[in-house]
Amino acid sequence: MHKEPGYTWKLGMFVIIGLVLFVLTIYFVGKEKNLFGSTFHLKTKFKTVSGLEVGNNVRFSGINVGTVKNIELTTDTSVMVILLIKDDVQQFIKADATASIGSDGLMGDKVLTISPGTVSLPPVKDNDMISSKSAIEMEDVMGSVKASVDNAGIITAQLAEFSYKMNNGNGALSKLISDEAFSSSLKSTLTNLQTSSSEFAKFTTKMNDGKGALSKLVSDEKFGKTLDSTMSNLQAGTKGLSENMEAAKNNILLRGYFNKKKKAEAKEAAALKKKADLKKKNDLKKSGAGKKITDEKEGGVLNATDSSMQQ
Amino acid sequence: MVIYLKNIFNDAGDITLFAARFFKEVLRPPFEIKEFIRQCYTIGYKSLPLVGITGFIMGMVLTLQSRPTLAEFGAESWLPGMVALSLIREIAPVITALICAGKISSGIGAELGSMKVTEQIDAMEVSAINPYKYLVVTRILATTLMVPLLVVFADAVGIYGGYIGINIHADVNLFRYFSQVLASLEFLDIIPATIKTFFFGFFIGMIGCYKGFTAANGTESVGKAANSAVVAASLTIFIIDMLAVQITDLFF
Repeated sequence: MHKEPGYTWKLGMFVIIGLVLFVLTIYFVGKEKNLFGSTFHLKTKFKTVSGLEVGNNVRFSGINVGTVKNIELTTDTSVMVILLIKDDVQQFIKADATASIGSDGLMGDKVLTISPGTVSLPPVKDNDMISSKSAIEMEDVMGSVKASVDNAGIITAQLAEFSYKMNNGNGALSKLISDEAFSSSLKSTLTNLQTSSSEFAKFTTKMNDGKGALSKLVSDEKFGKTLDSTMSNLQAGTKGLSENMEAAKNNILLRGYFNKKKKAEAKEAAALKKKADLKKKNDLKKSGAGKKITDEKEGGVLNATDSSMQQ
Repeated sequence: MVIYLKNIFNDAGDITLFAARFFKEVLRPPFEIKEFIRQCYTIGYKSLPLVGITGFIMGMVLTLQSRPTLAEFGAESWLPGMVALSLIREIAPVITALICAGKISSGIGAELGSMKVTEQIDAMEVSAINPYKYLVVTRILATTLMVPLLVVFADAVGIYGGYIGINIHADVNLFRYFSQVLASLEFLDIIPATIKTFFFGFFIGMIGCYKGFTAANGTESVGKAANSAVVAASLTIFIIDMLAVQITDLFF
């Protein structure tokens, strides 16, 4: 009927491009999901998989190298996770590699991460078992957060109490902060201190540089030397004077005076001795009577305390 | 009332018989291959520009519209995956099917209706050509196979439109964009959506043919056939879509 179908090639192109697009999409999605290409299996056991699901990515050094193929409970406390991993990375995963479960971002999917093992060890084989590290559970994090929040609560309560006392208390620190009178008196004290210290500074400068007696005493070397020689002269002078005195005592004119003085001194000493003896006797008598009085007093006090205790 | 209900049941029975006849005839030789290829050309190739432009605009607009919401969550990197998923799962199949319903279903309805009115179909029957086989089977088969292909094109062009939409505001490499798209896709996104499009294609062709084939005598019934074909096909597409999504949801 239609002898010259000039449209056939257009139709063929349309169909082929459509089919190729479809097949390519299927192929690339399949590649993404590891359904095509050569793969191998790894097994690992966890106590909890914390929401890991079949189809989640497996990462090795941050690269997606496979997917979680199966998750099954083996005993009541352990979960077997079977991983499907590209053949290319088998040589890099050593026998002591460890698996751990992490999260891809804050809200993202769970990700199973394989940490590489020791270089010297042989690589894993198909269906090998690798060890696992338990992931940090959100509940653990929340628990520690709660503890620190509780502590923060105590600290802030104490801080509030402290600042309340600071504002309303009568202690030195609170007065330092809030009392105006105290601060003004403190200020005047400080100004006084300042003036006195400046005076003191003037004094010391005068002391060091001045020409007065005191400053010379402190700082002038010459003055020191003259003072020293004066002192030695004085010493010699007094020595001479005492010799003079001895000579005077033996002098005929003055001997009488000195003897009289000696006698009077002896008499006075005797009278003093007598007086002292008398005083001692009186003291002894007085102390005996006093003791009796104090004893009576003590007894009264004791009786009073007894009666109060009985009550 | 009873007559009204009876009419509805009558129509439903007629459509069922019409569809059953298609499955009977499609496997029985002789095959009208040349006519089938011609129909594929008119239905598939001739609809491509329309579907391509619509797909491109849908992809780009969807990207631009989703961007502010995702940016609010700081999740702009999810934009390619989100656009690709919504295009492949839902938007491209339904939009393409609706456009095909408007373009193809009405065309078939009008063509067959006018043939029926001008008694060409009767003339075919007289000249020992099976008009059902020559006119209906080829058209239904062509729509069933071509609409999925058009959807694939719409997906591809739409995702490229999304790439351009993203690059209006940000700067994303084409390779990076497609790797993000592919990373977010799964077979569960592609396979049910593709199966769905075969049903869309089948019903677009079937309803168009039925409306045209059963047109009453008179010129105005041609227009009526074309119109009701579009309306019924569009409605059927939405019903099939709902059923398909529910079934997919149930099993996976």
